[in-house]
Amino acid sequence: MPRLRSRTRRPSLAAFLLPGGLLAVATLSSLAVFFPGASASGQTAPSHVSSTGNLAKQCGVVNLKGVTSVYGTGNPFHSPNLNCSGGHIISYGDSAIDYANPPASYISAGALLFAQTCSSCHGSRANGIGPNGAATIGPNLQGVGAATVDFWVATGRMPATDIKAVEAERKATRLTPQQALELAAYVNSLDPAVPAVPTPNLKGADLAAGADLFSLNCAACHTITGAGDALAFGTNAPSLQNRQVTPQQVAEAMRIGPANMPRFTGNLTDVQVRDVVAYVTEKIQHPASPGGAGLGGVGPVAEGFVALLLGVGGLALICFWIGERS
Amino acid sequence: MSDTEHEPSRTRVPMPIATLNDPHLGDAAKNPGRVEGIIAVVFVLGIIMMAAFGAAYWQNWNPWILGGTLGAGLFLLGFGLTAWGKYLMPQGPFVEERHVLAGSTAERNALSAALVERSTVVVKRRRLLGGLFAAGSGIFGIVAIFPLLRSLGPVPGTSFEKTDWRRGIRLVDSNGRPIHKDTLRAGNIVTVFPEGHQDDIQGQSMDQTVLIRVSYEAFTTIKGRETWAPEGYVAYSKMCTHLGCPVGLYEQQLQLLVCPCHQSMFDVTNGAVPQFGPAPRPLPQLPLGINSDGYLVAQSDYHEAVGPGFWERTTT
Repeated sequence: MPRLRSRTRRPSLAAFLLPGGLLAVATLSSLAVFFPGASASGQTAPSHVSSTGNLAKQCGVVNLKGVTSVYGTGNPFHSPNLNCSGGHIISYGDSAIDYANPPASYISAGALLFAQTCSSCHGSRANGIGPNGAATIGPNLQGVGAATVDFWVATGRMPATDIKAVEAERKATRLTPQQALELAAYVNSLDPAVPAVPTPNLKGADLAAGADLFSLNCAACHTITGAGDALAFGTNAPSLQNRQVTPQQVAEAMRIGPANMPRFTGNLTDVQVRDVVAYVTEKIQHPASPGGAGLGGVGPVAEGFVALLLGVGGLALICFWIGERS
Repeated sequence: MSDTEHEPSRTRVPMPIATLNDPHLGDAAKNPGRVEGIIAVVFVLGIIMMAAFGAAYWQNWNPWILGGTLGAGLFLLGFGLTAWGKYLMPQGPFVEERHVLAGSTAERNALSAALVERSTVVVKRRRLLGGLFAAGSGIFGIVAIFPLLRSLGPVPGTSFEKTDWRRGIRLVDSNGRPIHKDTLRAGNIVTVFPEGHQDDIQGQSMDQTVLIRVSYEAFTTIKGRETWAPEGYVAYSKMCTHLGCPVGLYEQQLQLLVCPCHQSMFDVTNGAVPQFGPAPRPLPQLPLGINSDGYLVAQSDYHEAVGPGFWERTTT
């Protein structure tokens, strides 16, 4: 029997490698698909009203610098549930978020706590003025609202342990949630202001709308996965995947704009804030990772590395295996 | 010794001829009709996928259609080639019986004759499959030239220099809600679009603008822009002047806008002059006004081209 002249074994391996490699490239490139989120559900357009004098009198003087006059954005005087007693705001809000000030009985304990843990940097009257009349290290806290104080203390950012740090980081706190509210009650009593401490009602939240709002308003700094990212001059946007971040703290951060974070008040209604809070605490903090490992959600470098290593490497191994068998 | 002296001593080379009972030929290669048909169908599907890839690219369809058609096309062509090699070609191993390497004229003639003879027996040139594969890969090659061709024209003209912002047009957010002067507090940021353009591609790309309320009093970012920032509102193009990324990271204490791609930083209170990073120019500032109903409006279009530089750019 005459024999054929060629050895076809090598060419068959190459015939697998070339389309295999091209297929791998095509597969990787299609990984970059971006799925646009569901469009935002219809929100009623907020209208603009001026606050009425009667309510203001009943509730005493309230510093409104933290909120706008847009309906449904946390302004107590546009709230259907405004509850005042003795010239003080007790609570306000709507079905999406309840805002409540800590009870007045907390004030005396808060005053003691403030003198012990806060006054050295913020002044004994929390006004940013030290005993010699000079500005203190810490800023004036009067008129910031109870939510601001509660956020900074409850997340462990205050009291600061390193006053030279570029920004206060979240850390384990020595103070209890109760003590945070006591401090908030005291500071707020010096210059009553809003926002009060929000409690989002997550039942009925629209997660799709929350995802849309998150990608529009939050993802720029916190990234689309909420993993957080570096910003300018040593600052950073913290991770929202941290499950210690409570719904209340997310709502507080959006309404007060702590440190370098912008404040989201007039352009987001309470319903929208509630939707974002639900998305963060139900989805960002519990990522589904449909592809398997989430790899920390830190972006294309880690994902590309794994895709190249496992995808192309695995395909190459399969090609060699096929070549060995044929 | 010369060839002529050597030639008579050489015998004719017995060239191998594949016959239908050659053990190297699989069953499919001996009766190629069905397999060849299947491979032809695979190649035709590959051609369709490559053409669909071209159409998808041309029509700017969704990325997953682009990736899906390209991936399917490459897979089908590769699958067809592999099946062709596996089922229709002789399979090794082969043992070659060699002789002295240099051949005489007669031997070379015999070789040619043998090759011609062999190729006419079983291992045919499969013009159909070859042609189909060439068509599939050829379409892919042509589609690969699309980006080059598209980049050759048409000349953009002034389309890069102008946006949809006009005198008196209201600023709206992504839901189409206009921004009243009381809507934002100091430290607020919102991405705005010219009213009516919040849902179209031009609006979401070139027109996108960040609106920041820095304070409650009008201020001047740069000399000559005294009226551009009423009631502490200031607006800059959201397209980075480096490569066009959305500059959406606002740090309200540092008063910086940061680009997420290459960390260019723009000074919000001083005309968005770059403080750091590769951005070559400040973000263009949109002159703002407030209409009689209290809503924020644009005074005019941007005074310069937004986004990254391009060759025909006339404004500096």
